[in-house]
Amino acid sequence: MIKSTCFHSKLQCHVSQVQGIEPEMHNITRKRNLRQELLKWNGWGYNDSKFIFNKKGQAEFTGRRYRLGGMVLPTFKEWIEKTFGASLEHKSTSRASLNVNDVPPSVVNEEFLRDLIATKISYSQDAEDRVFRGHGHCLHEIFALREGIFRRIPDIVVWPVCHEDVVKIVELACKHSLCIIPFGGGTSVSSALECPEEEKRTIVSLDTSQMNRILWIDEKNLTACVEAGIVGQDLEKQLAESGFCTGHEPDSMEFSSLGGWVATRASGMKKNIYGNIEDLVIHIKMVTPRGIVEKNCQVPRMSTGPDIHHFIMGSEGTLGVVTEVTIKIRPVPEYQKYGSVVFPNFERGVACLREVAKQRCAPASIRLVDNAQFQFGHALKPQVASIFTSFLDGLKKFYITKFKGFDPNVLCVATLLFEGDREKVLQHEKQVYDIATKFGGLAAGEDNGQRGYMLTFVIAYLRDLGLDYYIIGESFETSVPWDRVLDLCRNVKERIARECKEKGVQFAPFSTCRVTQTYDAGACVYFYFAFNYRGISDPIHVYEQIERAAREEILANGGSLSHHHGVGKLRKRWMKESISDVGLGMLRSVKEYVDPNNIFGNKNLL
Amino acid sequence: MAAAAAAAGRARRGAPVYSQKELTSKKRGEFEDILEERRMSSDLRYAMKCYAPVIYKGLSPCKPSAIKSAVLHSEQVQYVIRQLAKETGESSDIIQEAAMEILDEMGHSMQLGAVRFFAFTLSKIFKRLFQRVCVNEEGMQRLQQAIQEHPVVLLPSHRSYVDFLMLSYLLYTYDLALPVIAAGIDFLGMKIVGELLRRAGAFFMRRSFGGNRLYWAVFAEYVKTMLRNGYAPVEFFLEGTRSRTAKTLTPKFGLLSIVMEPFFKREVFDTYLVPISISYERILEESLYAYELLGVPKPKESTSGLLKARRILSDNFGTIHIYVGQPVSLRTLASGRINRCPYNLVPRHLPQKPSEDIQEFVSDVAYKMELLQIENMVLSPWVLAAAVLLQNLPAMDFELLIEKTLWLKGLTQTFGGFIEWPEEVYSCFSFLRDVFSDEFIFFPGISLKDFEEGCFLLTKCDAIQTTQQEIYPTDKGSVVISFLSAMFRPFLEGYQLIFRYLSKEAKAAFTEKQFIPGVRNFVFQLLEKGNTQCYEALSSDIQKNALAALVQLGAVKKKKMTNGFTYSINQEAVNKILDMFVFRNQLPRRNDTYPEEPPPREPPPASAAAAVQPRRLRSGAALCRVCGCLGPRVCGRCRRAAYCGPEHQALDWRRGHRRTCAQPGAADDLEDAVPDHNEFLFPEYEILIEPEEPESPADSSVDPDDEAAIDTSGNSDKQEELRATGSASEALESLDEETLEAMAKHETEDDKIFQKFKERIAAEPEQIIRYCRGGEGPIWVSGENVPEEKDIPNCSCGAKRIFEFQIMPQLLNHMKVDSLGESIDWGTLVVYTCANNCNEGNQYTEEFIWKQDFSAGSM
Repeated sequence: MIKSTCFHSKLQCHVSQVQGIEPEMHNITRKRNLRQELLKWNGWGYNDSKFIFNKKGQAEFTGRRYRLGGMVLPTFKEWIEKTFGASLEHKSTSRASLNVNDVPPSVVNEEFLRDLIATKISYSQDAEDRVFRGHGHCLHEIFALREGIFRRIPDIVVWPVCHEDVVKIVELACKHSLCIIPFGGGTSVSSALECPEEEKRTIVSLDTSQMNRILWIDEKNLTACVEAGIVGQDLEKQLAESGFCTGHEPDSMEFSSLGGWVATRASGMKKNIYGNIEDLVIHIKMVTPRGIVEKNCQVPRMSTGPDIHHFIMGSEGTLGVVTEVTIKIRPVPEYQKYGSVVFPNFERGVACLREVAKQRCAPASIRLVDNAQFQFGHALKPQVASIFTSFLDGLKKFYITKFKGFDPNVLCVATLLFEGDREKVLQHEKQVYDIATKFGGLAAGEDNGQRGYMLTFVIAYLRDLGLDYYIIGESFETSVPWDRVLDLCRNVKERIARECKEKGVQFAPFSTCRVTQTYDAGACVYFYFAFNYRGISDPIHVYEQIERAAREEILANGGSLSHHHGVGKLRKRWMKESISDVGLGMLRSVKEYVDPNNIFGNKNLL
Repeated sequence: MAAAAAAAGRARRGAPVYSQKELTSKKRGEFEDILEERRMSSDLRYAMKCYAPVIYKGLSPCKPSAIKSAVLHSEQVQYVIRQLAKETGESSDIIQEAAMEILDEMGHSMQLGAVRFFAFTLSKIFKRLFQRVCVNEEGMQRLQQAIQEHPVVLLPSHRSYVDFLMLSYLLYTYDLALPVIAAGIDFLGMKIVGELLRRAGAFFMRRSFGGNRLYWAVFAEYVKTMLRNGYAPVEFFLEGTRSRTAKTLTPKFGLLSIVMEPFFKREVFDTYLVPISISYERILEESLYAYELLGVPKPKESTSGLLKARRILSDNFGTIHIYVGQPVSLRTLASGRINRCPYNLVPRHLPQKPSEDIQEFVSDVAYKMELLQIENMVLSPWVLAAAVLLQNLPAMDFELLIEKTLWLKGLTQTFGGFIEWPEEVYSCFSFLRDVFSDEFIFFPGISLKDFEEGCFLLTKCDAIQTTQQEIYPTDKGSVVISFLSAMFRPFLEGYQLIFRYLSKEAKAAFTEKQFIPGVRNFVFQLLEKGNTQCYEALSSDIQKNALAALVQLGAVKKKKMTNGFTYSINQEAVNKILDMFVFRNQLPRRNDTYPEEPPPREPPPASAAAAVQPRRLRSGAALCRVCGCLGPRVCGRCRRAAYCGPEHQALDWRRGHRRTCAQPGAADDLEDAVPDHNEFLFPEYEILIEPEEPESPADSSVDPDDEAAIDTSGNSDKQEELRATGSASEALESLDEETLEAMAKHETEDDKIFQKFKERIAAEPEQIIRYCRGGEGPIWVSGENVPEEKDIPNCSCGAKRIFEFQIMPQLLNHMKVDSLGESIDWGTLVVYTCANNCNEGNQYTEEFIWKQDFSAGSM
């Protein structure tokens, strides 16, 4: 009792301070609130963008942010009913808003608070703020939000605005023995942001969102030094003002942050031209309980023992906070062109991608979706305004399905994105299409390609719609050598189907995959998996069991634990198997040296 | 500590093979006899049936040659070829060729034609060898399901060569994909058979090839390719070779680890292993095995050896039980045992020695599968009885044998053995009730009620106890039961002796007067030798009743004759009539097929009045050189010989057309190249129809009434006695007087009729047909087997059938089928047709034919 009143007074104290004389801090609070207000508290992405069923019962995507925004999707309802056996009659609604009483109280050491206020770093103990930073986007996390179940969330949120602020916070944390969990974009899908339930210390959520400036751009060396909290789309937007880009475009780039990319070894859609995060990063500055770790120069490569960047990249917030990153930049490409190729079946498609990778002529992005995903994309076609377009559409469909003898229930589609000089792009395009032809591929137009990429951004919104109708789903990914791609895709889908059956899932699950990245030695495969959980008492548990089985299957098929999502707490159990006992010990010893008191105690990875 | 280790060991090995519960409450499906249907319908149709098996994931089966080429060009084989080329310095082309040779030697070339050939011949053979081939249908259904889901490996037990054929035959019967079978290379030594087996899906492996890397690579890849593609179930024998002792041999692991590899490498999602238990009551190779085990070397497989083996076709090998076990998912077996897959770190096409973990797993699975085979082996009464006998050599009392066998049965059941025991009390009861129908008084048609009443009475005196399913005798009841069974024993044994007499000693036809002394003699001899104690069988009362019962059961046919009744053991008479059919077709003069006017009469060919093979109809239509049907097909080379279809063309080619076809001058000889009759065609003649001159009234007819009249008058005829002494010929001195007398009378009676027959046809000795529709009846050649009115069924239209014509035995001479004992034969064939002439028009209507033979005595 006493405690809570005490906090209350502190909170008021803080608020009065904000309302008081500090104009800069006030500004920050408004800014961070703006972001929080824009985004859903219990689902993916922007508040104004979501799938709904309108009064006519037709699916519609709201908002104006995406190309699909405001459009009616006439065939989508049927697809959902057919694929999941779902009925629009049966709805399972989320709590409309956060009930503050459900939220565990904030437990903060008073001395720390005093010290923190002295640093003038903005902070909050508000329930909504803490809940917002207490989760990622794993299914169980979102499900818990919708049901209003909160186990352990951060006790306090702090908003450093620069590297020095972070140093101060880490020092305070060491001093008061707190636990810090760095928070960037909050798009984790590995339970990395989940607070360990058994954590007794005060948990400080270190939100980097206010560290979002581009510190400098070096046009001679084509590098830029950027604060780690900047969100992907802002980074690209701001660089574009100077005519540059990083080219790093993960599907979450609207919300995920540079620091997050570094901490999880992220991969971007256009890695074929620009590289993954480990190829892009030139220099990292990280604040650890032991001090600051950085290099003495910003060079393309150095031979100074194991690259310390590789301790940082993929450390998932267990070692410290990445504050500033020097990253390669490129001039914004002159010309961009989408494309798509239809293949008679998935096997041929994979063979074509393999050949493209072999000849090292992969366009900026090349992705191959399987038939289920092709049909799904088809179901998301908006109502066409002009009858002429639909006629063309029909003609194309006829051509694909009849003329070439493609079976619409077997064919699959590759989407392409070319970038660069106009001339080179056209040349490149021809080369890729020539290879595709050898594998029975048929060019299917720019529009299909562009739609494919647009869908990857929109698809994340779909889960929230599904959750409203007893459908739960998730995506997971892996990387796998070329020769095992087909076997892995087939076996994982089969395993999912089998597990669902065994676990009593009434309706056959929807599982689909796409090959999203090609490398010399293998590919990255991305799975979507969803099912209708009506009639199951503990859907999340069932879901997790199935997902675990699917992961076991991936590992047995020679796939990796993760290509770019990271390990977090979700996949920890397989770390030993993945990197061997000794490997794990190496990582542990780094952790022990850098953070002996486990200040960064999110318990990820190890 | 030790306990903990044991527990850990068990956890690692998965569930134990047996659990306490399984022992007693094992549920096994019903068996179905697949030969039953084969005995009732055409084997040919069965062999030619539409065969469209379900296959794995709806793949379309690819050609054997495509598989071979896929294997040859697979990374696995190519890798080994390159390696060998590097090591030996030989060019890789040469090694590739060697690989191709291995493939050719090994590969199957499954062809539907060969499969159908086997389906046909095996039907014939199995029907002769085995009484029943029983299959658990439920298992077949499970198998069908499994085949569609994942690649399937069939693991049958191996006791006999029959195993090979039986499973394929079974799968064909159930419309399932035929397996490809790993067979020992020694089969290839059998000339034609080896190739035939190959075409039926066998592939051949050398007995030892440990050192030959190329062979190993090609072989392993071949098996895996077939498995991966789900082309067909792969079948092999875990035991490696036939068990000579009927004990299961310790498993071989080589092939098993090959078929498991695609799963370990995750090239397939799962693989089903199907244990199959094939239990024989008697094994074909039993004596062969005995010789072998005694050190006489195993004969090389050879075709002539197989032909010699035909001898066994006349033996009875009882029943085969095939139990198709529950398909076992390899994935389930492996789950929790093989976690981290060692195959992840090496490219999958490199040959890799399985890790110890995996070797251990393979071995465990092999033993588990064999235990499952053993578990579902069916034990029949014969097997148990044989086991008892073996411990009681050289002989044992029958009663004791039964007692011991039953005891063994109980023991087996306690041990969880799988017993098929034909033990329905009720069916035994109703059978005996029918057999004794003339011995005791049973109210007809209420056998179930009788049975229940019997049970009730026995329960009442505590002789038996009944539950829902079971009836078992009580200890107290033994007095009652032994008394009652002793009461019935004389009858049971007496009947048995009589039946034995009938099946062994009796002639095809006999009279009651022959029967009774015959039985008496037979029994007397047995009694004298001490082979039976059943004096009751001497009683004519029992004998007569038994005969009556047999008549009632339809096993013996009874016919009224002048001097009482004759009996014939039914089977023969039935069979003889059954293989002849007569069809009626009354084509009107005006019809769709032939012109109204007959073709112009041409002078008959110079050679003979009887026509030679016509090459063409006058209308110009070509006729088949072999069968004479319309022949739209011509020989592609000479364009002169016409055939009805490819079968006859091929036949004629072999028969000689190949010699004459190419000779340009032979055009004229074309007709002569085909003999004027062959096994398909009888020579053709023109039939001249002439009215018969009326004869003296005394001989005018042989209608039944007359016959009867002659019979009555004939008994004391002097002439008869004369003939009797003549034709009874070879003095049957050993027979007693009475029998002799009966035989004599019988034969003279026949002779008299035959005499009439001869007189009747004397006017026109060459006659082949006597036609008189509805008029006087046929003239019989013998007094035996003359139909009564009720023997001639009515036409399907409901009208009576009346005599139309009879075919005389002289026709046999004209048709050149006159060699005794081998050709078809008849005394006379009498055709009865519908009195109403129903169904005029184009179609054929089946009518009734009665075949009468010259009686056995006069032949």
